[in-house]
Amino acid sequence: MLVLALAAGCSSGADGPAPAAGGAAGGGEAGAASPRAGGTLRLAVEKEPECLDPHQSPTESARLLTRPLVDSLVYQDPRGGLHPWLAREWTVSGDRLTYTFRLREGVTFTDGRKFDAAAVVANLDHVVDPKTKSLLAASLIAAYESAKAVDPLTVEVKLKRPDSGFLSALAQPNLGIESPATLKGPASKLCAVVVGTGPFRSDGGFTPQKGIDYVRNPAYAWAPEGAARGGPGLLDRIEVTVVPDNSARLGALTSGQVDAVTGLAPAGIGTLKSTPGFALHTTRFPGANYSYWPNTAKGPLSDVNVRKALRAGIDWRRIVKNVYFGVYDGADGPLSASTPGYDPSVAAAYGHDPAEANRLLDQAGWTQRDAQGYRTKDGRRLTLRHMWSDPSVGNLAVQIQAAARQIGVELVEENLDGGTFVDRLLAGDYELIDTSFSSPGPDVLRVLFGADNIPTPERGISNNMARYDNPEVESAFRRALGARDQAEQFGVYAEVQRRITEDAAVLPIYSPLSTLAAREGVRDVRFNVDGTPDLSGIWLAS
Amino acid sequence: MAGVLKTSPAGVAEARNRRRSGQGRRTLVRLVLVRLAASAGVLWGAVTVTFVLLQVMPGSTADVLLARSSVSPEVRAGIVAQYGLDDPLPVQYLTYLGRIARGEFGESYVLRRPVWDEIAAQLPGTLLLVATTLLATVVASVVLGVVSANRRAWVRSLFASAESLVVALPPFWLGLLLLTVFSCTLHWFPAIGSSSPSGLVLPTAALAAGPAAVVAGVLREGLLRAMDEPFVVTARARGIGEAALRLRHVLRHALLPVTTLLGWIAGSLIGGAVIIEIVFSRQGIGRLALSAVANKDMPMVIAVVLVTAAAFVLVTIAVDILTWVIDPRTRDAGR
Repeated sequence: MLVLALAAGCSSGADGPAPAAGGAAGGGEAGAASPRAGGTLRLAVEKEPECLDPHQSPTESARLLTRPLVDSLVYQDPRGGLHPWLAREWTVSGDRLTYTFRLREGVTFTDGRKFDAAAVVANLDHVVDPKTKSLLAASLIAAYESAKAVDPLTVEVKLKRPDSGFLSALAQPNLGIESPATLKGPASKLCAVVVGTGPFRSDGGFTPQKGIDYVRNPAYAWAPEGAARGGPGLLDRIEVTVVPDNSARLGALTSGQVDAVTGLAPAGIGTLKSTPGFALHTTRFPGANYSYWPNTAKGPLSDVNVRKALRAGIDWRRIVKNVYFGVYDGADGPLSASTPGYDPSVAAAYGHDPAEANRLLDQAGWTQRDAQGYRTKDGRRLTLRHMWSDPSVGNLAVQIQAAARQIGVELVEENLDGGTFVDRLLAGDYELIDTSFSSPGPDVLRVLFGADNIPTPERGISNNMARYDNPEVESAFRRALGARDQAEQFGVYAEVQRRITEDAAVLPIYSPLSTLAAREGVRDVRFNVDGTPDLSGIWLAS
Repeated sequence: MAGVLKTSPAGVAEARNRRRSGQGRRTLVRLVLVRLAASAGVLWGAVTVTFVLLQVMPGSTADVLLARSSVSPEVRAGIVAQYGLDDPLPVQYLTYLGRIARGEFGESYVLRRPVWDEIAAQLPGTLLLVATTLLATVVASVVLGVVSANRRAWVRSLFASAESLVVALPPFWLGLLLLTVFSCTLHWFPAIGSSSPSGLVLPTAALAAGPAAVVAGVLREGLLRAMDEPFVVTARARGIGEAALRLRHVLRHALLPVTTLLGWIAGSLIGGAVIIEIVFSRQGIGRLALSAVANKDMPMVIAVVLVTAAAFVLVTIAVDILTWVIDPRTRDAGR
């Protein structure tokens, strides 16, 4: 197969008229040509899941690779709207503790078994069973108490406490419905082969360091309402290969060995933009931007003025532009602008204002300067330790370090091994940590700023790296969980975004991009609400 | 456990009194048995050192395992209990030894599959690459060595400097270079995947270049030294052709250090070809080991170390046997 692919050559993407030009950069909704059935999409992906089973695995790659295999009860469109999928409709009780789902009839798993209420119960129970060792899914439905099959097509789910994020959680592939027969088998088998009701099936499953092949499920007739297209997928096959090296992935695409690649590095994106015959499809990952998380609990950054000074004093946008060749957009708030529930009103607070930064630092008492020009207070230098364990952020960190120096702040870069990093994270022994956190909704704010998510040695790793603990925000989080509908929930989370911005509890830098670079014949590339490309909707014009 | 046999004076004296072939063969059998027994000790040592190193690495296993996840305290407690992460270290160590002795390698903490299944899935890719690399190294270095050995001094130093240059190239850089030229520009070979024979060419070239250059240099020195031996004059006096002289007599002498060197290269390639595996997106033990170590995935790390150590032991024994075949002098010794 590889030898055949070679014959296609570097210019293979250029033939064919390509009227829609692939809808490059952003959305790609231009579906001018009429969809054509058939063909094999060969895709090279950057990362692989340790375990394919979305109930067990927390990774983005597991979501990407299982979405073609499993459907969910609820469909969430990229803007956050919720629509019927395997559940035809649902009702929520007045106390918001009981959800009743009416299921779609005539749905079958690709192993031939029928989808019914018992299957839903088996799946939810499987996710929360401690034996499953779920690394994400169980925590998404932490409020789940029990489920029962009222009749073959009705499921009643009881929650321990109201959770306005429950339906969005169900919409994620992590809560995808798998064939109950496979759930009873060994967990290790599920890490390779996942059987669902999806538009594609993969009998061979996932092989680590290699990839996964899918074939179309011709019986598929239950695409979600609100999706771009109903009916079975148009592709005959999808062949996914794991290609961890950036240049190899780019080379495989430009030489015609694959039709599409994900996760191109910014430099590769630059190269591809200047190569004719290829289109770049991108969307901002929803969730938290790539950010510096200040330790708000102790050290110099426990002073809100110092945090604000850092935010205003560094020209984050210019640095991002320089380091990433203009590929990434600067950040406009704690959440990326593509996140459902993002509040655009906070954007104004994230501008560059060095004069204000210097004023804030003076006000915070860092008025003296030492021989190297760094600010001092009571004879101590304003030094912030930024710790990281991912060497790819080095370039960016160095630029930020240089910019901080301009306002008299010393950043000490500490590139640590994973274990030391974890130990220091748990101990709170740092001033700055960097990371992004993709998630399909504003609920991620609770994960990132909730007091019970501060990492400690007892609790283990958790995601409130800013160690932010604000009673006002805590009560807002409770209100958000108890919200009656999405609009109310989004309203509360907008309030939280404003409060976090006022407190400068995060220093957002850029919005990471989900990219799918493809030859021009690859059409209708759309992205799911979690930012992963929707493989099953793609078709090949050539 | 290194390769070449040492000749003890007592052994030499004793051996002189023996008839060569029959006695020697028995010596060989005994040699192999002794080596196999010693290898059990080597494997035990490898497991122990690995266990200690992983414990010394900073960060608790549970924290590292759960670093990129979001789990309830119950799930965390379940994982700690299932893997015995809270047991005292001696207990953990003895449990491991016991399991390994029974041939139970357990399940990978991270991949959540039986360790042995994963190794079985990744090992063929590694072995294939090691085999082609060794083959390419031998062929290239013998050709280079034989061709360059009888040239003028300045030609030889030209070869030597070219070899030094190749040795200095980092394999991953060479790999990327080969990819750019032969895959993306010329389209001669695929850039990704390991399923086809043509997919082996570039990774083999990238991996074999350095070893081939080293071995060619060693071989050339050996050839030159052997050419000065008195037996060369004798052979020439018998009227043997120059080519036959080199291939049949001189090469044999020069091969001894090369065999030892190749044994070491083979051992280090198993598990050591990580970067090439990543650059060419090949399946392999190296990638498995890398992620296992980063995640403190004890069962996987120990299994990979065992496989690598076992391969090293086997290669060493093979080198000893080869030495025995190539150099009759060693047949008298070696106990």
